[in-house]
Amino acid sequence: MALPVLPSLDRRTLLGVTGAALLGTGVRAQGASKPPAAPKGQVIVGLSQEPTRFNPLMPAIEVDQGVWWNLFSPLWGVLPDGSFNPMLAKEVPSLENGGISADGLTWRVKLRDDVKWHDGTPFTAEDVKFTIDLINNPKFRAGSRAGHDQVRDLTVVGPHEITWKMAEANAVYISRLAWTFLVPRHILGAVADPNDAPFNNAPVGTGPFVWGERVAGDHLLLRANPHYFGSGPYLERLVFKYIPDMTVMYTQFRTGEIDYTSIQGISPDHYAEAKKLANRVISVNPSASIESITPNLEKPQLADRAVREALYYGMNKKAIIDAIYYGLPTPTESFLPAQSWAYDSTLPKQQHDPARANKILDAAGWARGSDGIRAKGGVRLAFSDSTTAGNYAREQAQQLLIQDWKAIGAALTIRNMPAAVIWGDYYRLSQFDSVMIGVTFGIGSDPDVTDRFASWAIPAKGGSGRNPSQYANAKVDKLLRQGVAEFDPTRRKAIYAGIQQQVREDLAILPMFQYATIEGTKKGLVGYTPNINALSNCWNCGSWYWAS
Amino acid sequence: MARYLIRRLGQSLLLLWLVSMIGFAILYLAPGGPLSQFALTPGMSEADLQRLAHQMGLDRPLPVQYAEWAWRLITGNWGRSYRDNQPVLWVIASHLGATFELMASSTLIAVLFGSWVGILGALRRHSLFDALSTVGAMVALSIPTFWFGLVMIYIFSVELGWLPAGSRFTLGDGSLLDYLHHLIAPSLVLALVTIAIWSRYMRAAMLEVINQDFVRTARAKGLPERVILIRHTVRNALLPMITIAGLQLPTLLSGALVTETVFTWPGMGRLFLDSISYRDYPTVMGILMCSALLVLIGNLLADLCYAVADPRIRLD
Amino acid sequence: MGTAATLPAEIEAPPAGSRALRRFMHHRLALGGLAMLVLLTLNSALGPWLLPFDDLYIDIVHRFAPPFESVHLLGTDQLGRDMLARLMMAGRVSLTVGFAAMLLSTALGTVVGAVAGYYGRLTGTVLMRVVDAMLCFPAIFLLLTLAALVEPGLWTITLIIALTSWMEVARIVEGQIRALRERDFAVSAEVMGASDRWIIFRELLPNAVAAIVVAATLIVARAILLESYISFLGYGIQPPTPSWGNMLTNAQQYFDTAPWLAIFPGVMITLAVTSFNFLGDGLRDALDPRMELP
Repeated sequence: MALPVLPSLDRRTLLGVTGAALLGTGVRAQGASKPPAAPKGQVIVGLSQEPTRFNPLMPAIEVDQGVWWNLFSPLWGVLPDGSFNPMLAKEVPSLENGGISADGLTWRVKLRDDVKWHDGTPFTAEDVKFTIDLINNPKFRAGSRAGHDQVRDLTVVGPHEITWKMAEANAVYISRLAWTFLVPRHILGAVADPNDAPFNNAPVGTGPFVWGERVAGDHLLLRANPHYFGSGPYLERLVFKYIPDMTVMYTQFRTGEIDYTSIQGISPDHYAEAKKLANRVISVNPSASIESITPNLEKPQLADRAVREALYYGMNKKAIIDAIYYGLPTPTESFLPAQSWAYDSTLPKQQHDPARANKILDAAGWARGSDGIRAKGGVRLAFSDSTTAGNYAREQAQQLLIQDWKAIGAALTIRNMPAAVIWGDYYRLSQFDSVMIGVTFGIGSDPDVTDRFASWAIPAKGGSGRNPSQYANAKVDKLLRQGVAEFDPTRRKAIYAGIQQQVREDLAILPMFQYATIEGTKKGLVGYTPNINALSNCWNCGSWYWAS
Repeated sequence: MARYLIRRLGQSLLLLWLVSMIGFAILYLAPGGPLSQFALTPGMSEADLQRLAHQMGLDRPLPVQYAEWAWRLITGNWGRSYRDNQPVLWVIASHLGATFELMASSTLIAVLFGSWVGILGALRRHSLFDALSTVGAMVALSIPTFWFGLVMIYIFSVELGWLPAGSRFTLGDGSLLDYLHHLIAPSLVLALVTIAIWSRYMRAAMLEVINQDFVRTARAKGLPERVILIRHTVRNALLPMITIAGLQLPTLLSGALVTETVFTWPGMGRLFLDSISYRDYPTVMGILMCSALLVLIGNLLADLCYAVADPRIRLD
Repeated sequence: MGTAATLPAEIEAPPAGSRALRRFMHHRLALGGLAMLVLLTLNSALGPWLLPFDDLYIDIVHRFAPPFESVHLLGTDQLGRDMLARLMMAGRVSLTVGFAAMLLSTALGTVVGAVAGYYGRLTGTVLMRVVDAMLCFPAIFLLLTLAALVEPGLWTITLIIALTSWMEVARIVEGQIRALRERDFAVSAEVMGASDRWIIFRELLPNAVAAIVVAATLIVARAILLESYISFLGYGIQPPTPSWGNMLTNAQQYFDTAPWLAIFPGVMITLAVTSFNFLGDGLRDALDPRMELP
């Protein structure tokens, strides 16, 4: 049997092949120097939100996930190109290697036998079983059970082998597992209530770093794990520093107090200046998040496809991207990032064409009133757009849209709210007219969007997904079902192309652009590799080091 | 006295109960909730959110939730933060140090500088200095703190590079000097308003004292101006100031929210703001109760001090 | 003593009327404040009509134009809108918020304080305990949670600021009324059989007007500041409507590239608030020389 490929080796092979184009400037220093023999130095990561949740199975936000990648390991991870690399598993199960049965229902995973938890206890198949059982434990506040709740007959075959059956064939589950970090049975299984376990603030994992100390509200310190099963870590310490203000974060990056600006990174307003900084490397990384105007399709003004088409023609995308985002994001027509293997590049391109928009509205019977605003059947073409209050870029984009759409006889008003308010019932239960929102639609590298576009995923109608725009299309429903059950990549690609075309045709969302995050590192930091599929670019800090 | 104390204590308890009810109601009735932050997290769906709401007991009627919270509080269990799963009192305690450091240094600056300005203003009433300090204090009271903080950052951190742009210390350094270096800008910004308040109070108190009999007597006795100033005037003028300082105590808990936000200071203000914006109910309620407790204790102490200092005030 | 109807004439004649005016006129800072306020108000009220620019018109090509260099006297903002026009319109909003919040909170505070001070006993105790309870809340808690309860807009923000500002007035009025109601004229009015309402509003309150006016002036100052803080914390008045607070907040990130975006609204706020503080100070000196700052 072939030797298991070490995660970081695998990554480096990949860099050789697709590196430069995919990874931007982060790899510039690659090959210039070798990693140190023993962990050396530290990296201070600046985060604009505070990581606070350290049980990787509980609900969390992106910053927490960035920390998890360094404390814990999943069975396999997902690489920037969308492929999977085995971590705690010896190999990634597939139809070809027999890990997944031909009907997609029986899964068998072989585990590495040389992995130890940070406290020295060996990692075994019992831990895998415990983790999935814990997620499904009705008393445990698991973040997401999606996929895991279809696991049946979870059986430990040997100390390093486990098998289970799925209630339904589910090609997406492999991506869900790439986000599922394993927790130790010998610690969490021994406490009365895992929800309030001491573990949650003194986590023990299998990752490249071990828990150091946390100063609440300020920073979190991790130390190198000398017994890490993969290669690395090369840093002695990894520090996550909480800097809630982006301007301050940028200033501290400039003065050298932090080595890397993560998550929200550098604001586009500072990009031009940041590029000129000495000894700093600025990279513009495509993100999986797609910015769109998401209409509430049950509102009478927006239910009419002609209106959405006209609004789309009336939108000066280029002005928004160029003026507010300094031309960094890429305009898009799809809900998938251009880097996705399922991305359909043949979708029709939007043009800014107010004349055509006016024509469409005239033809559809939306006549201009005395105030210049159109109306049809007593419904005025007036609606509000909401987003998180305090997001300056979006607020500016909204103001541009007011002017754009006024020209075609549509009245837009801004109705922004604080995050805790807008993304509560207001968004989930479809109380909005439209929202300006950046959404990561897929699951890691998987293009499944059942939760987003299926007709049974509308919470306002009792659905269980997150389809607040209330989009419902029988053809899309059918394709979504097929896509989840299909394991063949070629056939899946065709299915998701069909979904992208239909969603674009129906204008279920008015896609604007694919986000580009601007992140900066100090020069000499080797190994920093943006990963569009991992939710955090701190996914591989274990292979970072300073060029000597 | 004992009867008075018991009555005041009873009233205070009643007040605490009122505060907890109002606070709880406003907080829980405000739209959104602790789960809103996950609405956009990839991988989580409506089913997960509803299950979590049920597991956390957020789907129960408000009075039930309140009763449970209040009962736990009475039994000494303040609950755990929704964010980091730590006991609420621990969370509060772990942020108190940073705020105390900031408050103490800015109060020190304000007391020293403010008293000086106030005393001088009173002694040289209607002088140019008095006029300027009056105008200065008014302007200081009128500047939006965050704007002043940003100007400070822009000038001293970005342009001149003399002061750090925020944070409490440099990671990996953390020497006393480094702490002080980080403390300069935020404590000055925070002190600006306090200096203004303090100098006005001090001036008023001084004017009151200067014209009182014992000062005139001292002067008639031919004591040197300086001795009169320090031993009689300033000391007597400072007395009411102590009460005022005591009444500032509760602000320790809500912290210098704006200053802490501008300078990314990891103190109570930041914690309060973050807890409110993430709807971390147990922590917000914990801070609220602590700060109400401090207000009440402060009021009580102030009243008692008055009574002790001024025999004319009878407490019942 | 005459009848109840003639009573007001007797007590409404605090001989200080003209003396107070004279004292006020001598207060140069207060006069300056008043003049500045008149100027600011006129500027905001009439200014926009005199300018050729619309405060909402976006001209993205000409954004970040520096002040004093083009037809845009004070430059343009991040979307190319005329700064002067926006500052004037923002003045309307901010001053309206200040005045309206003052009116609301003064009215509420006066009524609560008067009722509590006049009736004392249970009613007074309950009302004043509610005031105490409200004062127990950090202002920021009330602002942020109340702001989440309503939709952010001019009137809701005014309401929220008013709801967090009336307690001071209530305390002042309660104290005054409690002291005044024991005085001869009030007691005699009661003996005379005047109604409670009459006594409170016709007999007692006019004597507390001085204190109320001073408090009210300071509330305007506070309200304008609070509006900017609410904006800073992300709950402010919705774009595109400008207010000094949201203009200042939105300018933060351009502090190093386009500092005028932050400097102008900051100066406007400081000017307006300082003027109100001076005015309040002068009024206090004029109306009640015994009261001292702050």
